[in-house]
Amino acid sequence: MSALKVNNLYRYFGDLQAVNGVTFEIPHGSVCGFVGANGAGKTTTMRILATLDYPTLGTAEVCGINVVHQPAEVRRLIGWMPDHFGNYEHMTVLEYLDFYARALGYKGQERRQRIQEVMDFTDLVPLADRFSNKLSKGMTQRLGLGRALLHDPQVLVMDEPAAGLDPKARVELKHLIRVLAEEGKTIFISSHILSELGEMCDSLLFINNGRIVHHGDAESLKQGSDSVGGVLYDVQIDDDPQAISDWCVLQPNVEFLEARKHGGRIRIDTQDPAKAADILARMVKDGLRVTEFHREQRNLEDAFIDILGRLDAGKEAVTPPPLPQQKLMAES
Amino acid sequence: MVDGKKSHRTQLFTIHDPRSTISTMSSPVTHLTDFSDRISPMLVKELRQGLRAKTFIAVFLALQVFLAVMLFSAGAASTSDHVGAVVSGIIFTFFAIAVLIVQPLRGTAALSSEVKGNTIDMMALTRLSAWRIVFGKWVAIVSQSALMLSTIIPYLILRYFFGGMNLLAEMVFLALLFLTSMALTAVTVGLSGCSSVVVRSLIPILGLPIMLWSLLVMSLSSGFRGSSGFLEICALDNTESRLAVALYVAAIAYIGGSMLSLGASLIAPAAENHSLLRRLAALALLLALFAATLLGETNTGAMVALVSVIAIPAIILALTESAPLVQTVCKPFAKLGAVGKLLGWLLYPCWSSGILFAIVIGLISLAGVFAHSAIASSFDAEEWVVIAALFGGLYFPAVWQVFLFRGDGQRIAHYLLLLVGSFILLGVLAALSNSMNNADFLWFFAWNPLAFIAMLDDSSASDSVLLAGAVVVDALLLLILFYGAIMDIRKSEPVVREAEASIQHAA
Repeated sequence: MSALKVNNLYRYFGDLQAVNGVTFEIPHGSVCGFVGANGAGKTTTMRILATLDYPTLGTAEVCGINVVHQPAEVRRLIGWMPDHFGNYEHMTVLEYLDFYARALGYKGQERRQRIQEVMDFTDLVPLADRFSNKLSKGMTQRLGLGRALLHDPQVLVMDEPAAGLDPKARVELKHLIRVLAEEGKTIFISSHILSELGEMCDSLLFINNGRIVHHGDAESLKQGSDSVGGVLYDVQIDDDPQAISDWCVLQPNVEFLEARKHGGRIRIDTQDPAKAADILARMVKDGLRVTEFHREQRNLEDAFIDILGRLDAGKEAVTPPPLPQQKLMAES
Repeated sequence: MVDGKKSHRTQLFTIHDPRSTISTMSSPVTHLTDFSDRISPMLVKELRQGLRAKTFIAVFLALQVFLAVMLFSAGAASTSDHVGAVVSGIIFTFFAIAVLIVQPLRGTAALSSEVKGNTIDMMALTRLSAWRIVFGKWVAIVSQSALMLSTIIPYLILRYFFGGMNLLAEMVFLALLFLTSMALTAVTVGLSGCSSVVVRSLIPILGLPIMLWSLLVMSLSSGFRGSSGFLEICALDNTESRLAVALYVAAIAYIGGSMLSLGASLIAPAAENHSLLRRLAALALLLALFAATLLGETNTGAMVALVSVIAIPAIILALTESAPLVQTVCKPFAKLGAVGKLLGWLLYPCWSSGILFAIVIGLISLAGVFAHSAIASSFDAEEWVVIAALFGGLYFPAVWQVFLFRGDGQRIAHYLLLLVGSFILLGVLAALSNSMNNADFLWFFAWNPLAFIAMLDDSSASDSVLLAGAVVVDALLLLILFYGAIMDIRKSEPVVREAEASIQHAA
C-alpha cells in the first residue's frame, strides 16, 4: 500500500482548473519533491491531501484512507506545514505548542512529553519563552515543523518550507527533513529550489497547469533529458557576448540558452563529441575568439525547463485525462 | 554540530512511552501547569492571549479606577436623598459600556484573524471542530466580561449602604446586562468569520451608535431619575414582567446560538453540516410558538415580534449559505431513501437547500401570523402591507445575489450590505415622499418591497392595492429564488447520486 495515492484528481474553482487529472503514488518511507511554477496546482493538491480542501472529482488516499470520506482518520496520519502561517500575539513558543498538543488530545504528562520531544528535535528549547510572533522566519518554520510533528504523523506534507529562509536556516531545515526521512516518515515536499530537492528527495513530481508532467528520481531525470535534450556547453569568448547568440541563430542543431558574463550557455543537439568539436571549429572559423568551450553537467532546473519546453513545442504529450463532464455523464 | 545532534534528536523523537518522565528538571515544559486538562484547549489559548491583551487590561483598570473615584465622591455627597440611585446609575452605565460595547467589539476579529493568519487550517487538522473553535473564542471573551462583573460586586455592596436599593431589581438588571453582552459577543464572534472587512467594520460603525443610544435611554429611564420602568420590569413582581424577562432571555439565547452557529458554518470544512441543527431548532421553536399561542391568549403584535425573532435570523442564515455540497453531507440523508432525499434539499448546508428552507420557513411564519390574526381579528390592511413589505425585504437582497454574486464564497457579507442598502433606500424614499406629499412616484421603486412601506402615508392608492402590490412583488421574488434553487439542485444532483451509489456499494 502506498503512503500517498492520488487518482485522476480534479479541483475546479469556478472556471479555473487548478488541478486537472493528477495521478501519482508515493511509497512509504520515501521523500518526494513536488515541483511546479506558481499556480501549477501544487498547493491545491497538497491541501486536498491534508483534508483542507476537497476534490471536484477523483480520489486521494493517505495510507489507504480516503481523504474525503474519512478526514478525521487521515488527520491522525498526516502532518501539514503550510507555506506561510501567522503566529499568535501574546503567546510564547511553549504555549503555542501546548495549545496544539491539547487540541490534538494529549493530556498531562504525555502532552508535556510530546512537547519536550518536538522542542528538542527542532531546537526550540532556548526559544520556549519567546513570543511566537516575534520569531525570525527560520525559527517560525522550525516552530511550524514542531507543531506538525506533535502527533508523530506517518506522512508529512510540506508546502514550500524553505521559502524565505536564509542559507543557515535552510541547511538546518534540510537536516531536520533528512533525519525525519531516516526515521521512516514519508515526506511530500514542494519547493522552487530544485537543487535542494534533488539532494534530499528519492523522487520528483513535476506538475504543470494542473497536470503531472514527470515522475521519477533526480538522476534518471537528468539522464533522460541528456539523451533527448542534447548536451550543454559553456562558451566564453574574447568578444561581445552577443556574438554567440547571433551565431547560434544561424546554426542548425545549436540553441543559445542564456547569456553569461563573457559568453553564454548553448545546447548542442547531439551526444557525439566529434560533432561538438566540429561546431567549435566552425565557431573559430566564423571569427568568434573562443577562450573556453566545455561541457556542463545538466542540473534539475535544465531538466525541468526542457520538459516544459517540449510540452510547449508539443514534442511530449501528456495523456489527457477524461474530462469531468464526460465522467459525470458516463456515471449518470 | 549538525551530525553531533542527530543521534540525540533521533533518540528523543522515538520515545513514545507516556509513562516516562521528563528527565531535565529545568525543562520549560515543567511550567505547563497553569490550566487544567479539563478546560477546552481553545479556551486555554484565548484566555492566555485575551488576559494579556492591552484592550482588556485598559478597560479593566479604567473601570476599577473610575468606580473607586466615583464611590469616594458619592460618599462625600451622601446627604442627598437620591445618591444611591445615582451611584447605581453610574455603576451600571460604565459597566454597560465595558460589557456591551468594548467586550463584544473584541470579537469582531476573532475568527477572521485566524483565517487571515492561515492558522484556522492548522486548527482544523486537530481534534477541534469548527463549533469548538467558535465556542471557545466566545467563552473566552465572556469569561473576561464575567471577571469584570465580579469586580464591580464590591462597589454594589458599598452602594447598598447609600440606601434606596431594590436589590432584586438591580441584580436582575445586572444579570440581563451580562446576558445581553454574551449575546452581542456571540453576534460579533459569529460575524467575524466573514472575510469582508466592510461587514466587520459595519458592526462597530452601525452597532456603536445604536448601543450608545440604548445605553443613554436606559440610563435616563433608570438610575439618574431615581426610578424607572425598566427597573420595575426587573423587579419581577408580576407575571407580565417575569414573562417579558424570560422571553428576552430566550430570544437573546436563540440569536446568540444562531450567530455562533453561523461562525462555525463559515469556518467549517465542507463535510460538516452546521445548518441542520440550526434549521431544525428554528422550525421546532416556530411550531412550539404557534402551539403556545393557540392554547393561550396572545396579542398578535407580540406574536409577530416573537415570530420575527425566530424566523428572521433563520431566513437570513439560510439565504446566505455558501458551503459546497459534498458526498459526506448527503450520506446521512441518502440512507433514509426518498424521504431523506427530499429532507436533504431542505437541510443540506448549501445555497439551494438554504433558499428552499428560507422559503418554507418564511411561508410557515406568514401562515401562522395570518391564522392568528384572522382568529383574533387584530390586523388591518395597513399592518399587513408592513408585514408583506418587510417579509419581501428579507428575500430581496438574496435575489440580487442570484444575479450579481453567483458562486459567492461570502454570501452573508454581501447579503448584509445589500440589506443595509435597501433599508437606506427606504429611508431616502420615505423622506422624498414626505417632502413632496406624494408617494405615487414610488411605484417605480416597487421592485424593492420595502418601497410599499414608504407609500403607506402619501400614496393615492388604497391600502388594499398596496397590499396586493406587495404580495405580487413578494411572490415574484420567491419564484425567482425558487427557480434559481432548482437550477442549482440539478447541478448538484450528481453529488447526491454519488452518495447514494457509495451507500449501495457499501451495503
